[in-house]
Amino acid sequence: METDIILETRNLTKAFGALVAVDNVSIKVRKHSLHAIIGPNGAGKTTFFNLLSGNLEPTSGQVLFKGRDITRQPVHRTIHCGIGRSFQITNIFPNLTVFENIRLAAQATGRDNFRFWRPASHFKQYEARTWEVIEKVGLKERTFVPARTLPHGDQRKLELGMILAPDPELLLLDEPTAGMAAEQVPELIALIREIQSSGNKTVMLVEHNMNVVMSVSDTITVMHQGRVLAEGTPADIAANEEVQTAYLGGLYKLNA
Amino acid sequence: MTPSAPSFVQQHRIALISLLALILLPFIVGVFEGASPLEVWSNRSGASKFIQGLAIEIFILALYALSYDLIFGFTGLLSFGHSMFFAVGAYLTGIALKSFGLNLWQTFGLLMVAAVAQALLFGIVLPRVKGITFALVTLGMSSVFHIVIMSRELGDYTGADVGLQGVIVPDFISPATERLRLYFVALTILVLFYLLYRRFVDSPTGRVCKAIRENEGRAQMLGYNTFLFKLAALILSSITAAIAGALHTIYQPIVSPDISGLGFTVTALLIILIGGVGTLNGALVGAAIFRLLDFGLRRYLGESASFINGAIYVLIVLFLPYGIVGTWQLKASLTFQQMRQGWRHLLELFGLDRVRHVSKE
Repeated sequence: METDIILETRNLTKAFGALVAVDNVSIKVRKHSLHAIIGPNGAGKTTFFNLLSGNLEPTSGQVLFKGRDITRQPVHRTIHCGIGRSFQITNIFPNLTVFENIRLAAQATGRDNFRFWRPASHFKQYEARTWEVIEKVGLKERTFVPARTLPHGDQRKLELGMILAPDPELLLLDEPTAGMAAEQVPELIALIREIQSSGNKTVMLVEHNMNVVMSVSDTITVMHQGRVLAEGTPADIAANEEVQTAYLGGLYKLNA
Repeated sequence: MTPSAPSFVQQHRIALISLLALILLPFIVGVFEGASPLEVWSNRSGASKFIQGLAIEIFILALYALSYDLIFGFTGLLSFGHSMFFAVGAYLTGIALKSFGLNLWQTFGLLMVAAVAQALLFGIVLPRVKGITFALVTLGMSSVFHIVIMSRELGDYTGADVGLQGVIVPDFISPATERLRLYFVALTILVLFYLLYRRFVDSPTGRVCKAIRENEGRAQMLGYNTFLFKLAALILSSITAAIAGALHTIYQPIVSPDISGLGFTVTALLIILIGGVGTLNGALVGAAIFRLLDFGLRRYLGESASFINGAIYVLIVLFLPYGIVGTWQLKASLTFQQMRQGWRHLLELFGLDRVRHVSKE
């Protein structure tokens, strides 16, 4: 059973002065599952992600990835051990082309970063990978335009493409649908679902859209004021009294 | 994948014509001054010597500006201590030749060691400070160097505030007797570094440098240890600037302490602002314009030259925020929209876009 766990946190805590943003969080994420983190604004979801990806150092506690302690690993090592992370606020290279954005992501995990005497275009393996990813996330029509000129929805796809390029085992997606037009959301969710199931990947997801969370997740962790309030299958969570009052406000009825 | 000969020539038409023009320049000017190319070649007459000198100065400035474009224009590191890279090369060459009687190759070896060492010195603060703070810390470091250069205690070597004088330059590249050779040496070094830079900025390493300029945090998240890339750019830049400094000493052959001050860093900044930040070609074009404008205005306007000079630079930066080469590369007339985009881009490079956001809050 234990070998089934890809990511584990042990009493993970992050305090900013008196404010404890993440308070003693211990969770286990099963391999190949889609694990959602939900909770009201300020519950500590993004801070929790920042601790996992190494963007922040925890005050105390541990992060274990495939049984290895990665708690204080510098942020640039994260992808090399197989964790890719996307951001709630679109975080791309605005003046570089869509292609170059993804190509840089593909190059990062290779061994050619300091071959300064050869043009980057000679390294065909990264370009081939870039085309694969561009095809997958559906940006083929806009490959060579500066990333800043993409509409918001496409920038979210680009963001997803950038973490797919190095082929990580675990994807941390921080509100991948944030700011997207409602009609684009199902398309992106289907894509995430497809990546997770066909690529044998584990996905952790912070999401506000309850319909999305309830329909795609295998496991849901509810956070509230930095703590884990509840954890379980979508059905468990929808039926949980405490969650209903704290977060869902009694408004959400599971329609499945 | 090697391009066929005609397309290669076509692709690099402007560069090849410019190179040819620079190779022929001393001879053509010689003809106008009444000396045959053979006479120019043998260096017997003084024909075209003045133009050669001016061109050498431009080559040195261009090399220096190129090195600044690499760290500022491509990697986004705003350094206010860049003149130190140049001055270390200049002083080291002067002192090695004059006080220690080393030959050119020994001097060159020493230069490489010093260049890498000073890049590492800047590298110490790299992971800790960013943006305008990095600029101020590097300014501090170069100021310390400036003070050391100016100090009386080292006056025997550096010449203190008078400057380093009486450097004995090896005969075979003496600016007095073998100026044409020095001209071609300087031109060759410039061309080689230009080609190296072109290659570097398009290599996997250079691409990451651009990514760091655009969004360093994201580059880290992609898995790049950005410190190493910034350090690599600094080392290459430092070596280039030190060689430019060495050429400066050989050509002059006196070294003024002014070249280690902030003013000379601003010179590099101005040159690439005129030419176009992050274009490489801009450093070459900018250096030529900078030196020729300064020379021309001084000659015809005397004292008021620097005022007019300044006004012209302000106008260029204001109306051509991408610089001359950058605007040329847009391949269209500059719209107001593009100008605004250009100003924003400049603000970002100087780390001033965030200041604006803060003042809004």
